[in-house]
Amino acid sequence: MATITATPGLGTRSAEGAAIRAADLLRWSLDHKIIGLQYMVSSLFFFIVGGTMAMLIRWELLTPALDLMADGTQYNALMTIHGSVMIFLWIIPMMAGFGNYLVPLMLGAKDMAFPWLNAFAFWLIPPAGVLMIGGWLVGPPEAGWTAYPPLSTLFSPDGQTMWAMSLHLLGVSSILGAINFVVTIRNMRPEGMTLWKMPLFVWAVLATAIIQVLATPFLTGGLTLLILDRTAGTSFFDPGSGGDVLLWQNVFWFYSHPAVYIMILPGFGMVSEVLSVHARKPVFGYRAIGLSSMSIALVGFTVWAHHMFTSLQPALRIPFMITSMIIAVPTGIKIFSWLGTIWGGKIRFTSAMLFALGFITLFVFGGIGGIFLAAVPIDIHLHDTYFVVGHFHFVLFGGSVFLIFSGIYHWFPKVTGRRMNERLGQLHFVTTYIGTFFTFVPQHIAGALGLPRRVAMYDPQFTNINTVISLAAFLLGISSLFFIYNILRSLSHGERVGGNPWRALTLEWATTSPPPPWNFRGDPVPFDDPYGYGSDESVAYLDAVERRFPAPEESDGA
Amino acid sequence: MSQDSLTPAELLQQRNRRTGMTIFQISWMLVFVCLVIVNWQLRGNHPGWPPPGVSAPSALLPALVTLGLLASAWLARSATRGLAAGRQAVFRRQWRGALGLGALFILVMGYEWLSIPTSGIYSDVFRMMTAFHLLHALAIGLFMSMIARGVRAGRVSAQNLWPAEGATSLWYFVVIAWLLFFPVLYLI
Repeated sequence: MATITATPGLGTRSAEGAAIRAADLLRWSLDHKIIGLQYMVSSLFFFIVGGTMAMLIRWELLTPALDLMADGTQYNALMTIHGSVMIFLWIIPMMAGFGNYLVPLMLGAKDMAFPWLNAFAFWLIPPAGVLMIGGWLVGPPEAGWTAYPPLSTLFSPDGQTMWAMSLHLLGVSSILGAINFVVTIRNMRPEGMTLWKMPLFVWAVLATAIIQVLATPFLTGGLTLLILDRTAGTSFFDPGSGGDVLLWQNVFWFYSHPAVYIMILPGFGMVSEVLSVHARKPVFGYRAIGLSSMSIALVGFTVWAHHMFTSLQPALRIPFMITSMIIAVPTGIKIFSWLGTIWGGKIRFTSAMLFALGFITLFVFGGIGGIFLAAVPIDIHLHDTYFVVGHFHFVLFGGSVFLIFSGIYHWFPKVTGRRMNERLGQLHFVTTYIGTFFTFVPQHIAGALGLPRRVAMYDPQFTNINTVISLAAFLLGISSLFFIYNILRSLSHGERVGGNPWRALTLEWATTSPPPPWNFRGDPVPFDDPYGYGSDESVAYLDAVERRFPAPEESDGA
Repeated sequence: MSQDSLTPAELLQQRNRRTGMTIFQISWMLVFVCLVIVNWQLRGNHPGWPPPGVSAPSALLPALVTLGLLASAWLARSATRGLAAGRQAVFRRQWRGALGLGALFILVMGYEWLSIPTSGIYSDVFRMMTAFHLLHALAIGLFMSMIARGVRAGRVSAQNLWPAEGATSLWYFVVIAWLLFFPVLYLI
């Protein structure tokens, strides 16, 4: 059985029988559950920050003229920090938070392999956030989240250097976190849990960690050069002095396309858990889903130049088009497996399940948009238009963010011992789904009609469609308020639950809610098949878990 | 310390540390690989490398200290094995040798860094790569000297070998990273 490697007594650890307190989140802790929540809560904070910026962007774009901004430069800064915050400080750390909280529990371990390193990786994020947003004080970065030179070297003020330093810290945090995941998953599985018996979320985290370990160093290399060009007078990206602007694009996308999978793969793992549990059916194609995560991780390294079709040597376009098309295959395998999982199941339309089902529909749409952009002739027409904006928001919001919402509704009872309000959850789902659809579908249309991205002012012929997009985006903003309110309300008023309110078979549910400081009392025994719903053995196992970790009898006004 | 005398928890800790160090080394080595690719892409834009009018530095002295670096890695490995066997005198002698050769490498490459003319893309790439490697050599060399103090104070010993083992692994990293850079900077 896996054994804790931390020195007991160092740092805060969750208290016996009590939920983690807000004050615990502000302290140095070696408890993976506290660290997981630190990731999640700080990410939610940055979601609100980045979301507020999105609202300001859409306010500005309500009309073709400048309304809110003094000039286009302000808009550039807003758009740059919005994108960077949402990617690097919201989605990626939120996925790391889920991984930190759940992986040791799912493996029956008492903590991660390196608790101190785990805490250190998290505590790099707050200073990175300060550097990112603090750029406003010294002249904000204006080169977009992709930071292409020469915009990021010659035309962006000092905040761009702070942006690069922020990403440096986040990159190191990401690598250290990923090392911890790989070692924990490789070395700390309980007896009897082979790779092929691991929960699919753990498979997904493993695939993600492999990408992080192998891709993030290239971002580190590129950022080092960018900082040197900005501060030390070098000319790596200046063609006039022998440098090369495409150098940045190659290095940046060699990291940033795999980073797309860093943002979505853990969510793929979550949806596999949620669909199986709430449809009461075994996962269809368990091995196919696990292996497709690994395939995506592998093929993801061969597609980066499809972001550069307009600047790439023509001879290289077709190979990258082919690899970009190929990556749709493992993704398609997952989609079919998920559909097979819910087919004929006893579906419970919980909020977690609604978001999981909503994700499938939206992600298929977003994926099809990706096929368009992977095709060279169409991409050349659509490059740098709102079609691209619509596409990546569809896969990131309709994909990653829907999965994050689904995961929070699903595991909130485990973390807090209370269930989130389902009516509010349904309201959240309906408004988010409508908001997502009517924000990002029209962006595809506007882009196909020629609306360029990254502009504060646009041709008046696009006024109506931009008004629709902005109003839908405001609905999306309001829907997030329902979600935040639901979390805050459920923390004190949510229905109290026992250890396993969803009757799930994976190990994190075979302990109290919230789990005790070292996760389990005694060594947990995993059920042989983590998705073996419907068998007599699974019913007996779940009944035994329910008897051992029952719901509290008294409710304090829930 | 014999493997048999370790508790299951200590064995797991040892396994975790070794696995973690290996993954870290692979990952961080890719930053160096990235910089080699940067070198290739930039030199591909020029008809010759170094570009016309720029003279390449001599490889003789760097080649000699590269041999010294390899010897230092062997000494560090041998010293750690000596410590594991409880032979502290062997450790001290060989560890000092490794540190000395490492320091010589840092001094010579520091001199190389200073002597390259400070203008033009060739100089930018050369100085960036050597400085990046030197910073790693310096930081890990300092860490190794702290280990030597730890051994003197009894904090690092056959019973607590990991700090020396980890430092040796990191020194291997410095050597392998340099073996990646040296041909790109001086031979090709």
